[in-house]
Amino acid sequence: MTTLVTEQHARPVPNPKKSLITKLNMGTGVILGALFAAITYYLIRHSLQTITDGAVDPLNPNQNDQLLIATMMAWSIGFLIGIGAFIGPFRWLIGRDLTAEEQLYLAGDGQGIKRYFKYCTDHKVVGIQYLVGVMTMLGVGGTMAMMIRTNLASPGSKFITPVVYNSLVGLHGITMIVAMIIVATGPFGNYIMPIMIGARDMAFPRLNALSWWVLFTAIPVLCSAWFLGGIPTGWTAYAPLSVQAGAGMDAFLMTIIIFAISTAVAGANITATVVTMRAKGMKWNRVPIFVIGSTISVALAIPAFPTFMLSMIMTGMDRSFNTTFFDAHMGGSGWLYAHLFWIMGHPEVYVILLPGVAALMEIAPVFVRKPLFSFNAAVLGFAGIAGLSVLVWAHHMYISGWANNLNGPFMITTEMISIPTGLIFLVLIGTLWRGKPWMKLPMLSVFAFIWNFLIGGITGIYLSDVPADNYLHGSMFVTAHFHFTLMGAALTGAIGGLAFWYPKMTGRMLNERAGYISFWFVQIGFNVLFFGMFVAGAEGQPRRVADYAHQFATSNLISTAGAYSVGIGMIVLLWAVIHSWRHGKIAPMNPWGSKTLEWTVPYPVPLENFDELPVITSDPYGYGKGK
Amino acid sequence: MTHTDFHIHHDAPEVVGRRERLGVRLLIVADGAFLFGMIFSYFYLRNLNTNNGWFPHGAHRFSAASGWVVALPFIVAAISHRIGLVQRALARTTTVVTLLALLVGLYLQWHQLAHMPFIIHDEGGGFSFNGGYASSWVLLAGANLFHYILGGFIALGLVLRHGRTQVDPTLELWRGRTAGSWFTWIAVAAIASALVTSIV
Repeated sequence: MTTLVTEQHARPVPNPKKSLITKLNMGTGVILGALFAAITYYLIRHSLQTITDGAVDPLNPNQNDQLLIATMMAWSIGFLIGIGAFIGPFRWLIGRDLTAEEQLYLAGDGQGIKRYFKYCTDHKVVGIQYLVGVMTMLGVGGTMAMMIRTNLASPGSKFITPVVYNSLVGLHGITMIVAMIIVATGPFGNYIMPIMIGARDMAFPRLNALSWWVLFTAIPVLCSAWFLGGIPTGWTAYAPLSVQAGAGMDAFLMTIIIFAISTAVAGANITATVVTMRAKGMKWNRVPIFVIGSTISVALAIPAFPTFMLSMIMTGMDRSFNTTFFDAHMGGSGWLYAHLFWIMGHPEVYVILLPGVAALMEIAPVFVRKPLFSFNAAVLGFAGIAGLSVLVWAHHMYISGWANNLNGPFMITTEMISIPTGLIFLVLIGTLWRGKPWMKLPMLSVFAFIWNFLIGGITGIYLSDVPADNYLHGSMFVTAHFHFTLMGAALTGAIGGLAFWYPKMTGRMLNERAGYISFWFVQIGFNVLFFGMFVAGAEGQPRRVADYAHQFATSNLISTAGAYSVGIGMIVLLWAVIHSWRHGKIAPMNPWGSKTLEWTVPYPVPLENFDELPVITSDPYGYGKGK
Repeated sequence: MTHTDFHIHHDAPEVVGRRERLGVRLLIVADGAFLFGMIFSYFYLRNLNTNNGWFPHGAHRFSAASGWVVALPFIVAAISHRIGLVQRALARTTTVVTLLALLVGLYLQWHQLAHMPFIIHDEGGGFSFNGGYASSWVLLAGANLFHYILGGFIALGLVLRHGRTQVDPTLELWRGRTAGSWFTWIAVAAIASALVTSIV
């Protein structure tokens, strides 16, 4: 791969003094968001309240839902106005486009750490914002998981009440799903990917910042669910249960709506960037596989997430305005919700999975110093998974009774996914074959992925099988299966990616010793945790229950022990990330000897990445082919 | 590097224009999936007709023409904008016509929503929607309203920006084409909604 050497130049720091842009930051966003929320709450409550015999009547449940949803919307809009997200569109509207000086200011040039708390359009800043956000979400969701497992350590435990347990399961689920969807494409897709393709920035830098800050507004909304009675439905929020649940459900559905907007914006941005901004000479067969995997993932998310958003809007309408989408007495159907939810829900698994897998495919050739085994097979595998993933949603509904005749076809389409998945394994194992791996931390993740995803994939075949699913549906077996897929495969891939790209993102090497300790605690603990759960599920223990029969005691105790091991490992990893960021060994420009473009730029990466855009003359995996 | 050679000026207006159009078309894909979900829901509930609740006995509804009344301004706006792109001399007029059409459509959709015949009021001041058809109708109408608001914003921007000297004319032409993609899409979406709601 031929690149032009880049250098950093000192640049003047712009100061568009008269512009409102300079006055806005996260603080003004929070203030305006809170103000908007408070005013909206007051005005709507005042307009909804009725006075009977001189006394103010309490709001009925529908009115309460209207009030809460409007307040949460007002918070989001107010925050985005307050942080300056709408300055660009407003200036476009009145025909006074942002000047180059203002755009440079928005890019955060010369603003140091403050730019991380502003509406900053630099893709590297957005990548770091996503990284910190994801780590926070994983920390919160992981803490909930520890509480759940502690309660399940022994039958009859009173560690938390069943009501709190139910809420924890729902909150843990949605927090982790959101975190996992952005765990690789958020930090690495934003920070690394534009550099990998030789671009100066994302296609739409302002939309890029918008995708992060829109997501940020969902965090307090989701947290508010805890104070509004929790989410008693689990993260799937099946109707009509979600229509009848308490006010915490409003927070849940607003979180999903906000998140879906963020995902659509990010998906369009990343796809447009990769399609239109690749370096000269970077034909599709020269695009790094991480870029391919991430792009397919976000392109899949673009059509998938709107149906999820729609199901939430319909739930909100049923709750607030008494529409009857899911009310069987009035022409509605709970099945409709399940369809809309899973039409998104299953592709979403692959939206999570593909970037993590692709990151590991990026890592493997570097650490075995061999070309990626069959680039085309890898692309075919990703495309095949993405294509088939939209045809399998009803395998989540086998036992719902909606159309038994269609169970067979959906079983076949689901099992067909194992074919492109097999290509993924083939590519990874082919790359490792007869190689001499450099056993650094990123490479360990590749091996862990192969083991974990093999188990996650094989148990998935059992669940795709209608007769087996009749027995296993709704059991701990399912919980173990999807954790092996999402955590064992996707999160392992993301952690491998973090270890790999950490030097480029922070300028420091990740503490290797702590990394190894974390790796073994997490991987051993993870397998113990979910093997125990497989056993409990196969024996018949249902999921999402706060208590269980004595016959499941041993496997649950083993699972909880494994969970503590994972918890310790994750704390060690968190410590390593934070400590190394400040005190780690200074990283050389290309510590792994990789051939992709991101390793040709120095740290800190210049504002526009390259002084002169690179020209690509070979594929990025030409290891063992000489210089 | 100084601010004058910051990245927005590295690419030619045509390149930026094409990129923006692709971005909008990708967002149209997302919006299309949303519309698909609504249409799927409409026919799913209609064909399931749980407890004969799709259109309960004695329920009221809009005429089949109502969806077309609301779709018409979308169509006028899309055609007008398209004429403006082809006949640049007429661009100012057609942009104003596009904006006016969208504002008229916005009013019509709002008027329909304010006079829905299938609301059931209870004694406590609350209300509910009478059946699956009513629920699906209000959802599609809400989507139309959203399209009118967003389309109106874009059309207003095009009107206000027209002829401003500091706006790059080549990039502006591309942005006009990009807006055209959106106007065409919202017209198609409105036609689809009108077709769907014609089938009760």
